[in-house]
Amino acid sequence: MNKKVNIGLGFRREIANEFLEANSVQPDFIEVAPENWIDLGGYWKSKFKEVTEKYPLVLHGLSLSIGSPEEPDWEFLKKLKSFIKEYNVKIYSEHLSFAKMDNAHLYDLLPIPFKDDSIKHVVKRIQQVQDFLEMKIAIENVSYYTPVDAEITEDVFVKKIVEEADCNLLLDVNNVYVNSFNHKYNAHDFIDNMPLDRVKYIHMAGHNKVSDDLIIDTHGEAIIDPVYDLFDYTLNKMKYNVPVLLERDFNFPEIKELQKEMEVLRKISLKNIDHNVVYR
Amino acid sequence: MLYTDKTYDSQKRLTNWVRTGKESGVPGATSNGLKQYRRLFRNNINNSLSQAYPISFEVLSDEEWSTLVDEFFEKHDAKTPHIWKLPFEFYQFVKANNFSEKFNYPFLNDLVHFEWLEIEVYTMPNEYPQPYVKSGDILNNVLEVNPEYRLTQLEYPVHMYAAKESVNHKGDYFLLTYREPKTFDVKFMNLDPLHVLFFEKVANENLTANQIIDFIIDQNNSIPRDKLTKSIIGFLETMIKEKVFLGYAENYLN
Ligand SMILES: [Fe+2]
Repeated sequence: MNKKVNIGLGFRREIANEFLEANSVQPDFIEVAPENWIDLGGYWKSKFKEVTEKYPLVLHGLSLSIGSPEEPDWEFLKKLKSFIKEYNVKIYSEHLSFAKMDNAHLYDLLPIPFKDDSIKHVVKRIQQVQDFLEMKIAIENVSYYTPVDAEITEDVFVKKIVEEADCNLLLDVNNVYVNSFNHKYNAHDFIDNMPLDRVKYIHMAGHNKVSDDLIIDTHGEAIIDPVYDLFDYTLNKMKYNVPVLLERDFNFPEIKELQKEMEVLRKISLKNIDHNVVYR
Repeated sequence: MLYTDKTYDSQKRLTNWVRTGKESGVPGATSNGLKQYRRLFRNNINNSLSQAYPISFEVLSDEEWSTLVDEFFEKHDAKTPHIWKLPFEFYQFVKANNFSEKFNYPFLNDLVHFEWLEIEVYTMPNEYPQPYVKSGDILNNVLEVNPEYRLTQLEYPVHMYAAKESVNHKGDYFLLTYREPKTFDVKFMNLDPLHVLFFEKVANENLTANQIIDFIIDQNNSIPRDKLTKSIIGFLETMIKEKVFLGYAENYLN
């Protein structure tokens, strides 16, 4: 990833061939969940090999469950570490949430209670993981549909964890929009309160408005204009260029539609590049 | 753990709710938000399992399938970090909890096993054969086995008949499931007991066809050698054509 602006696309099985065809989709990098590829052989292993020979790879984990009460899964981390090495991965991110409780996996993301003791707990977990992997990881703000036992606000929770753990932030701009809508706060204020100097990576995605007062973060639709606006607002405030990923997990359109979305992301990024004097 | 007991308890209540759908008193949560979580999590598990087990999903009634998924999600602590391996834990759960008796489907354990085998062999880590050559003496050279296979015994031939029909054909069945090199397609082959013996002798003991024939006649000398040899050659030729045997093991060529 050595361009001034790097726009990536999630590598998914449904659109795998498009990544390998000439003159189809042309992302600057791809992102996958390591859990879906570690231990795998056969057809998909060979496709994965092909695609990772063509594009730089970024990892976005699903099962680490940084907010679990139990100790990290060291067996899994061992495999992850060698996977990171094998594919020369520079960015590994995970969700600020929990997906496993008392060693029972749930395979989706639950909100951690926004509280001071949670901050202490999660900070320690992030540090343990960073020490083991011998790299900084990026932690993502997640969308959530109800607070749980919350005592502080989400922005304070995210900022404190990232700063105290000394890790990077994966800023998911769509998640900020979704949460601001569902929990009725100001998205711009939220961005203002983020430690933007720690943002290493940005996610952009579409979502699904299921009722007047509820948006579900599906990654199954096109990005909407207010989310592009919030992205523009965020880049304008940032001092660094970071890779940006278009997340699309299902309900796949024609590949050229995704290419168009990536072009919009590139245009907004290029527009904001002037004041971003330092490249990361 | 640096969580307070209260925070831990809140997380526990949330996960109990998600897994059971039973009111758990999650502090500070909205009922609408909780409903979304239960719906999203259960759908995710259900989608993963119904895609992995299309035949079982088809054969069981909607109610039976729901019961199975609900009980699995509620009672089974999923161990794998890889959701694509979860169907294995489901297969183990179905077997361990006697759902075949509860639903009165005697074939159910074999059916979920069969469906899991397809996933297992399709996804299993690559294994590489020893060096081999394409031509050799079919009776006197050791065959090189395609290492990407599973050999399984089934009581109900769910691989040969519709699941419900398999009940009428209870017996001892041997199913060879293997991954074809290059295409990575999963293939199934029903083997009779003599051929299982033959296959295992080649795979595990590196014996030649003639050595195995000697062994069989040693056990039962009423079998005419000519007839046995002829049928074995036919079997081996099929196995080579179907890429269960890849060729002749270089290490054993004289
Ligand atoms: Fe994201």
